[in-house]
Amino acid sequence: MNKIIVYCERDDINTLRNVSYELLSKARSLKNEAKRLIKDYDIEIEAISIGASLDEDCIKKAYASGADKFTFIKDDSLNDFCQTIYSRVFVEYFNTSPSDIILFPATVKGRILAPRITTLLNTGLVADCIELEIILKDDDIKLASTRPTFGAQLMATIISKSSPQCATVRENVFKAEFDFNNCGKYFEYLPCRYEETRMKIIKTVQNKICNDVDFSSAKIIFAGGYGLYDGTSNYYEKLKKIAENTCSKYGATRKVVDFNLAPSNLQIGQTGVSVEPELYVAFGISGAIQHIMGMKNSKKIIAVNTDSNAQIFQYSDYKIVADAREIIDELYDLVL
Amino acid sequence: MDIVLCLKQVPDVDDIKWTKENNLDRSLMLSKLNPCDEFAIETAVKLKQALKDVSITAISMGPENAKEVLNYAAAKGADRAILLSDKAFAASDTLVTSKILASAIKKFIPNFSLVLTGQMAQDGDTAQVPVSLAQYLDIPDVTCASDIVCESANISVVQKTGSIMNFWEINMSCLVALNDECKEKTFPKINDYIRAQSLNIEVYGLDDIGLDKNEVGIIGSPTRVYRAFRPENKKNTAEISSDFAKFMFEQINKVKK
Ligand SMILES: Cc1cc2nc3c(=O)[nH]c(=O)nc-3n(C[C@H](O)[C@H](O)[C@H](O)COP(=O)(O)OP(=O)(O)OC[C@H]3O[C@@H](n4cnc5c(N)ncnc54)[C@H](O)[C@@H]3O)c2cc1C
Repeated sequence: MNKIIVYCERDDINTLRNVSYELLSKARSLKNEAKRLIKDYDIEIEAISIGASLDEDCIKKAYASGADKFTFIKDDSLNDFCQTIYSRVFVEYFNTSPSDIILFPATVKGRILAPRITTLLNTGLVADCIELEIILKDDDIKLASTRPTFGAQLMATIISKSSPQCATVRENVFKAEFDFNNCGKYFEYLPCRYEETRMKIIKTVQNKICNDVDFSSAKIIFAGGYGLYDGTSNYYEKLKKIAENTCSKYGATRKVVDFNLAPSNLQIGQTGVSVEPELYVAFGISGAIQHIMGMKNSKKIIAVNTDSNAQIFQYSDYKIVADAREIIDELYDLVL
Repeated sequence: MDIVLCLKQVPDVDDIKWTKENNLDRSLMLSKLNPCDEFAIETAVKLKQALKDVSITAISMGPENAKEVLNYAAAKGADRAILLSDKAFAASDTLVTSKILASAIKKFIPNFSLVLTGQMAQDGDTAQVPVSLAQYLDIPDVTCASDIVCESANISVVQKTGSIMNFWEINMSCLVALNDECKEKTFPKINDYIRAQSLNIEVYGLDDIGLDKNEVGIIGSPTRVYRAFRPENKKNTAEISSDFAKFMFEQINKVKK
């Protein structure tokens, strides 16, 4: 039996991270693609998560997004994430029920866990992919994973000659699609107990506590990048006012958040929120791939940058080479 | 205490040259020390200054000219330098690179307490080698680290991921991958470079580390590039040349209607 495993990351409140459903939905489309390439080629999709307990709705959502089978590797000692233990229980289970493909989320934890697992399995791993395809090579079904390299200036599609073929995949690049008529089978696997005495967290600090901002209803989003920084947060405040006065939303890049010029719940991109407004206006944003991933599906994109070669222009419908601060000053006067 | 410092020489991604066929033209590109590794060097040197009896071994896999980054590390304070260089190593992927590094570390620095690496390399950007290396060495790891404090057999590591900061305590031996947050970069002085010149860089190949040629390089690597392409601009971008604010105002009103 051909099988794709999707590793589903659990968060602190025993729900699955949304990327789990994104990857399961993508696995489902890979399954259909394989069927198109080779008649009667069937792939089973198995979701695997590790922990002490799990919210039941998540399992339903996993079936709805594509899982034929859900395996929960369960033990009281597995409540807290620990890469050395999680990798061992995963591999222990995997050896009882191997697959041809394993997809991991390219989250912080996923990128710590996946290389340990693939090293234990002595197989290849493609990092941080943004596209997955099924291709036919030497009459066999292969996973082809595409990832940006060289600071996103080159895309590389990579295949693996060892099995299982593994990849970590970015959050927010595939869409989670649910069909609640779909159901699957649930299994629990009780692994051996392993102990990790060599490392422990002594303290965790959450830098900024913030609430979610609802970007989904926004028709227009004004986003500020580090190019607006003039030594003060003036232009970010101005942009926020412009947004408020036009019933729009205001967002920012990670660099702006990192420099404490905006709260982290306003971050748009791969590690922030993904947005798809009618109009996205980018002021002083360079267009790093991680930011692009979160806004490229906007219907219309206007970008302002002083550098006419800025990468953001490659994704824009309208290019404005100018000082974004001057434009904000003028726009401010127009809308307020 | 033996510290292993893993370094990589990378092509300068801000200075990419392309061939006519849209491939990278590596022959025209400048090489430099991977940016995150600078912070790993700083951290190793800081620990050496704070503690007694620290010996730093800088290790790099690469061609002959990767000696540059080892010389630089020596000027900054490394006591020993190892270059892993062999034609058979060429085109090793992350799994194989980790295997080569682990074999060399076990063989040449068997009593290591701490392995320091950069979080990721700027060219490949996979962040997989540190984790895989820790697995091969069977030691715990903390990635995305921004600071290390070291006392006796334990070290404390500050890990920063997004808005969360974790404080770890780990027993040695362990691996710490440092992020690119090198704030106080120090520059070696002329005298440091002169002293570094007297350091003999040890060069080892496939036979020295006890691996088979079928396990390394392009033959031993499970992953390979199937195709490479430059991301293209699918958009029809129109440049606006004047009355920017007015143009924007119109666009806003169009959507609001
Ligand atoms: C794992 C990972 C995840 C990440 N996730 C995200 C994410 O979710 N979201 C995100 O945004 N980033 C993310 N990043 C960071 C990303 O790589 C970039 O560093 C960041 O997006 C850059 O922000 P910026 O464009 O504001 O700043 P910069 O890159 O510094 O760009 C500033 C731009 O402003 C222009 N400029 C300067 N002055 C002016 C002026 N007066 N008028 C107009 N233009 C001007 C400059 O030409 C430049 O292009 C991530 C990075 C990593 C490694």
